[in-house]
Amino acid sequence: MENGITRRQALAASAGCLALTRCSLVSGHRPPPRVSIVRAAYTQALYDTVRRLLVEHRVDVRGRRVVIKPNLVEFDPGTTVNTHPMLVHAALEGFRALGAAEVRIAEGPGHRRVTMDLADAAGYFETIPHFEDLFTDLNLDEVSQVLLQDPFSRLNSVYFANTALAADLLVSLPKMKTHHWVGATLSMKNFFGLVPGSVYGWPKNVLHWAGIDECIADFHAAFPRHFAIVDGIVGMEGNGPIQGNPKAVGVLVAGKDMLAVDATCCRIMRINPSGIRYLRLAAGPNRLDEENIRQIGEHIKDVQTPFELMPHFQTLRL
Amino acid sequence: MDLVSIIGLQNHDGGWPYRKSGGSWTEPTVFALLAQWVEKGDPSSIERGLTWLRAAQRQDGGWPPRPSVAQSTWVTSVAALLPRDAIGRSHHAGAVDWLMGQTGKETSFAYKLRSELMGDGSVAEQARTGWPFFPGAAAWVSPTAISILALEKARRYQTASGLQQRIQVGRQFLMDRICKDGGWNYGRSNVLGVDADSYPETTGQALLALNEVELPKLGKALAAAQDQARQCQSAEGLSWLQLGLQAHGIIATGPPRPLPCRHIGDSALCILARAALGGRNIFLE
Repeated sequence: MENGITRRQALAASAGCLALTRCSLVSGHRPPPRVSIVRAAYTQALYDTVRRLLVEHRVDVRGRRVVIKPNLVEFDPGTTVNTHPMLVHAALEGFRALGAAEVRIAEGPGHRRVTMDLADAAGYFETIPHFEDLFTDLNLDEVSQVLLQDPFSRLNSVYFANTALAADLLVSLPKMKTHHWVGATLSMKNFFGLVPGSVYGWPKNVLHWAGIDECIADFHAAFPRHFAIVDGIVGMEGNGPIQGNPKAVGVLVAGKDMLAVDATCCRIMRINPSGIRYLRLAAGPNRLDEENIRQIGEHIKDVQTPFELMPHFQTLRL
Repeated sequence: MDLVSIIGLQNHDGGWPYRKSGGSWTEPTVFALLAQWVEKGDPSSIERGLTWLRAAQRQDGGWPPRPSVAQSTWVTSVAALLPRDAIGRSHHAGAVDWLMGQTGKETSFAYKLRSELMGDGSVAEQARTGWPFFPGAAAWVSPTAISILALEKARRYQTASGLQQRIQVGRQFLMDRICKDGGWNYGRSNVLGVDADSYPETTGQALLALNEVELPKLGKALAAAQDQARQCQSAEGLSWLQLGLQAHGIIATGPPRPLPCRHIGDSALCILARAALGGRNIFLE
């Protein structure tokens, strides 16, 4: 694929999938999005927990190409910074069990070029058999330019990694973290890793100048076929996404609607989701309201764990 | 991956991919060519690679990451590391002109004025001009270090006074961005009041670019780099450290366990580092 294609063209060419416009995501009547909150730990039981989550959300991936996008950021054997490899493996196994034709793991870290070494240090090679064959470094992937329709950011187009564009289902598997620039980094912010460092560099600073919140909202619209499982077993509070401190919550938060998933994560972290600019931008009116999200599993109040916030984000506190 | 394997992965169009069977990209093509330079590669392969590179250069003198990306970027500095007579004088001169026209957006007058008016305390740090990865973005350590190396090479052929000045200011930019631990990361030593850790790969690149800086100023950096080398977890990081330390007369030892090369770029870099340990540092030739 070469320059100047729209996401619609990319999908039509590769998978004959659905159209995208931002409007299609925010208009029309539809049932409230469902978001699961389940208690979990980094034990063998996690595999069964993830499989049940996927069944509960009727994720139909039979014959489809699934791309799992974890959050790999820094060398950190403790995996406070990175999505835990066991959760990634559990998702891989879960989608395979549901009949996916192909399941790949893919990530393009924002600061570090040495993605495979980073994954190695984070335990991915050890935990996930044949990891190297299953993984695509999105920073070094082939790329296509996608024209953004009615963008929030100052970008009219953006290059994305082809592995992400060709996915029938893109699964965001982030850590539950606070973020020093945008308040919280969850399933939507995780899509920054779909943008190739080979084009934009390390860091992908063009996105910052174009508006971080606005880019997050744009990328959310550009990849409408998604599912999210947020690793809140141990998250990060304070000066995230790198320099914060571990915060144990003991939950996974999952659903087909990333806005609803991220809004729910915020409430668990005792952050007002309406205070997160990118959520407001992407959501439109009322979509972030708690009554407009159908919670499954644990109640928010039963797992709510206040995350320490940077001083400039204290007003986000619920 | 040895040099024979790297040559074997050359695409039919003459360029090299980042990964096996991918399309040709500027950066791995240059590194594959540099590796052939230091290890007596295949002349036919080299010429095909150079032909691909020349064709990929844009009219503005810069190189795109790959031809289908309609923008010259920092990889222009990587291409300008090639010997001038190999890539061609006009191609090389175009690259140097393009690099001389690039600065980080944070040093633009408009941005500085806005920062001053808003009372942003980081304006002083933004006084030094470095190079961005992508035009219109801020300057960072890696593109600044590689651009300095490219302009240093160009300085041997060109006498324009601007070159030396940009090199000096670029070096000051790097000195401003040293992390508290002595090394460099992508380019922010402190984030919202918290000191940030350095990385092996950028520490090595910065030391390489600071090859003419007096030793006392770099004492802590050189010690940090040697520590990083001993604990390094990536072949790419170790190679940059070895190249950077060798530029200051230090032979760095790596960790006890061998580090795997993952792709064409880091394999080529390992060859360049090995050559540097043997006394030939191609970045400084």
